[in-house]
Amino acid sequence: MIELKNITKSFQNGTIKTDVLKDVTFGVQRGEFVAIMGSSGNGKTTLMNILGCMLKMSGGSYALDGVDIETLDDDQLSDLRNKKIGFVFQSFNLLDGTSALDNVLLPLVYAEEYPDDARERATQLLESVGLGDRIHYKPGELSGGQHQRVAIARALVNDPAIILADEPTGNLDSESVREIMDILKRLHKQGKTIILITHDINIARYAGRTVFLRDGKIYNEEVSK
Amino acid sequence: MNITKNIIISQKILLVHKVRTVLSLSGIIIGICAVMIMVSIGKGTEAKIISQITKMGSNVLVVNAGQVKIIAGRARQTKSVTTLEPRDALSIIANSSNINYAVPAQNKKLQVKYGNLNTTTNIVGTTADILKVRNYALSKGKFFDADEDKGSRRVAVLGQTVVENIFGQENPVGEMIRIGRVPFEVIGVLAPKGLDMNGADQDDQIVIPLKTALRRLFNLTYINAIYVQATDITSMGRAESETRTVLREAHHIRTGKPDDFTVQNQVSVLEAQRESSRTFTLLISAIAAVSLLVGGIGIMAIMLISIKERIKEIGIRRAVGAKKSDILIQFLAESLLLSIGGGIIGIILGITIAVIIAIFANWPFSLSLNVVAISFLSTIIMGILFGVYPAQKAAQLDIVKALQFE
Repeated sequence: MIELKNITKSFQNGTIKTDVLKDVTFGVQRGEFVAIMGSSGNGKTTLMNILGCMLKMSGGSYALDGVDIETLDDDQLSDLRNKKIGFVFQSFNLLDGTSALDNVLLPLVYAEEYPDDARERATQLLESVGLGDRIHYKPGELSGGQHQRVAIARALVNDPAIILADEPTGNLDSESVREIMDILKRLHKQGKTIILITHDINIARYAGRTVFLRDGKIYNEEVSK
Repeated sequence: MNITKNIIISQKILLVHKVRTVLSLSGIIIGICAVMIMVSIGKGTEAKIISQITKMGSNVLVVNAGQVKIIAGRARQTKSVTTLEPRDALSIIANSSNINYAVPAQNKKLQVKYGNLNTTTNIVGTTADILKVRNYALSKGKFFDADEDKGSRRVAVLGQTVVENIFGQENPVGEMIRIGRVPFEVIGVLAPKGLDMNGADQDDQIVIPLKTALRRLFNLTYINAIYVQATDITSMGRAESETRTVLREAHHIRTGKPDDFTVQNQVSVLEAQRESSRTFTLLISAIAAVSLLVGGIGIMAIMLISIKERIKEIGIRRAVGAKKSDILIQFLAESLLLSIGGGIIGIILGITIAVIIAIFANWPFSLSLNVVAISFLSTIIMGILFGVYPAQKAAQLDIVKALQFE
C-alpha cells in the first residue's frame, strides 16, 4: 500500500540547513495498523506531512497504491488526499463556527461529485462515533474528545483507504483517549489502514507494529503480540 | 467542487463578523448610494426646467433692451437702454416670415393699494397678444383687448399672488385699485403659473395695457422687452436671425458694432441647462469612481484581514482535498458576495433617499434602469478586481504552515 524508500527531508532556514529526515525506508501493508513512535523533534510530523502528500520530500521515493507521488501535480495531490487519506490531527483542526455536520461534510465539498446522500452519510458517521445527538453543535460547544470524534467522522466521510492520525490523543484526557483509541481499533478491524504517530508507548501498543524513529532515521521495529 | 455548497459555508463565515462586514462595505454602499441620489436629482431638476420652459412657451424668443448678462444665475440688464420702442415689435412682425407674434412689454415695480391693504408688485405693460405668447390663462373675468390698449384704458389683470395679498378671499373683479397714484379697474385674474426657472414668483404681477402703462404710469416712451413667438419650434433659429436683422436696421446699427439688445432663445437656455447637467453627470461619475475605488480597497482590506484570520481554515480545507483553484474561487466568491451585497444595499438606500428628496423638492422621481444596472455591474467588477489579489494569496499558502498557524 505504502512504500517509502530512502526518504530525506531538509529545511533551509537562512544559511542553516537542517536535515530532519535522513534515509527513512519502510512499507505499510493494506489493512495494517502501524504506529510511528518517537519523541518530539525526531521528524515524526515531517514524516506524517510527507505521508499525507502535503509536503514534498527532498530525496527518496514514495509510492502510494503503486503511484509515484513525485509524478503528481498539486491538483492531483489534492484529489489524492481527498479520496485516499483521512486526517486526524492532534489539534482537531475543525472549522469554528461551523456545525459538526458541516465539518464532516467538508471533504465531500471537494469531492469530484457531491453525493446525493451526503447528509445521511455524515449523520451516520457522527452516530457511529456517538455524536448522533450533537450533529448541529458547533466546535465551541463540544468537549475535546467530542472534537476528535467529529474529526474522525470527517476523515471517514470519503471512505479513504488510509487514516493518518498525528498524535490524535495528545490533547485529550485519559477517558477520551480510550474512546478515541477504541474507535481507531474498530476502524482497523473494519479493514482500514491506520498510521498512528505518537510519542506515547502506551498509545503505540494499540498498533500491530511500531516503527521507532530517532534523529531522522528508523532505528527499530517491533511487532506486538 | 460543489460551488453552491461552498458559498453557503462562506456566507455563514461572513455572518460571524456582521459589524465588521457591514463597516467594510460602507465605501461601496456610500458610493452607490451617492450615484443613485445624484442621478435622480439631476433628472428631477431637468424635468422641472423642461416643464417650466414649456409653460413659458417653448417657441418663444425674448428680446431684452441692452446687453443682458447672467449674474448669479439671473439675467440682468447691465444698464438702462432707451432704444427699444413699441414700434420695433411692429417692424419685426412686418418684416419676417417665421414669426407669429411680437409682443412689446415694459415693467416696473410699483406699490398697489386696495382699501387699507397695499403690496409692491411687478407691473407689466403689454398688448393683448401676450396671452397667446406666454400661455397665460384666466381664472376669473377677462383680459383686456386691443381697443382697451389703444384707448389707454385703466384696466388691470392681477396675478394670483397679488390677489391673495390685497384681496384675500374677496372677488377682485370689478373692484378699483390704485397702482402708484393712478386708479385702475380689475377686470380679470390670471391662472397661477408658479415659479419660473430662477425661482421668481410668476404670479406676483399685474398686467395692464402697454399704452396705459407708458403714458399714464411709467411716463416712458421705450420698452424693455419684446416677446417673439416663432411659427414653430423648428423655425426658432430663423426667427432669431430675422429679429436681429430687423432690430439692427431699425436702430441704425452699423456692421461691426454690437447689438443694443439681447435675444434669448428658450431652446438655447434648455441646451445650456442640458450642457450643465452633462457636466454635473461627469462630476458625479468622478465622485462615484473615487468612492467605488475606496470601496474596492475596503473590500480588499477586509478580505486580507479575513484571510489572515482564516489561515488555519485554508490549511484544513487544503488538507481534506481543496485544490488551489477551489480556495481561489471560494475567496473570490466571498469578495463578490460582499461587493454585491454592498451594491444592493447602496441601490436600495439611494433610491429611498432619492424618492424622499423628490417628494420634498416637488419633482417627479426618475432614475434610469441603465444607471442601476451600471452601478450593479461596477460592484461586481469591483468584487472581482479587488478580490483576486487576496484570493490568489490565500490559494498560494503552504498547506503545512497554514495548518500549524495559530
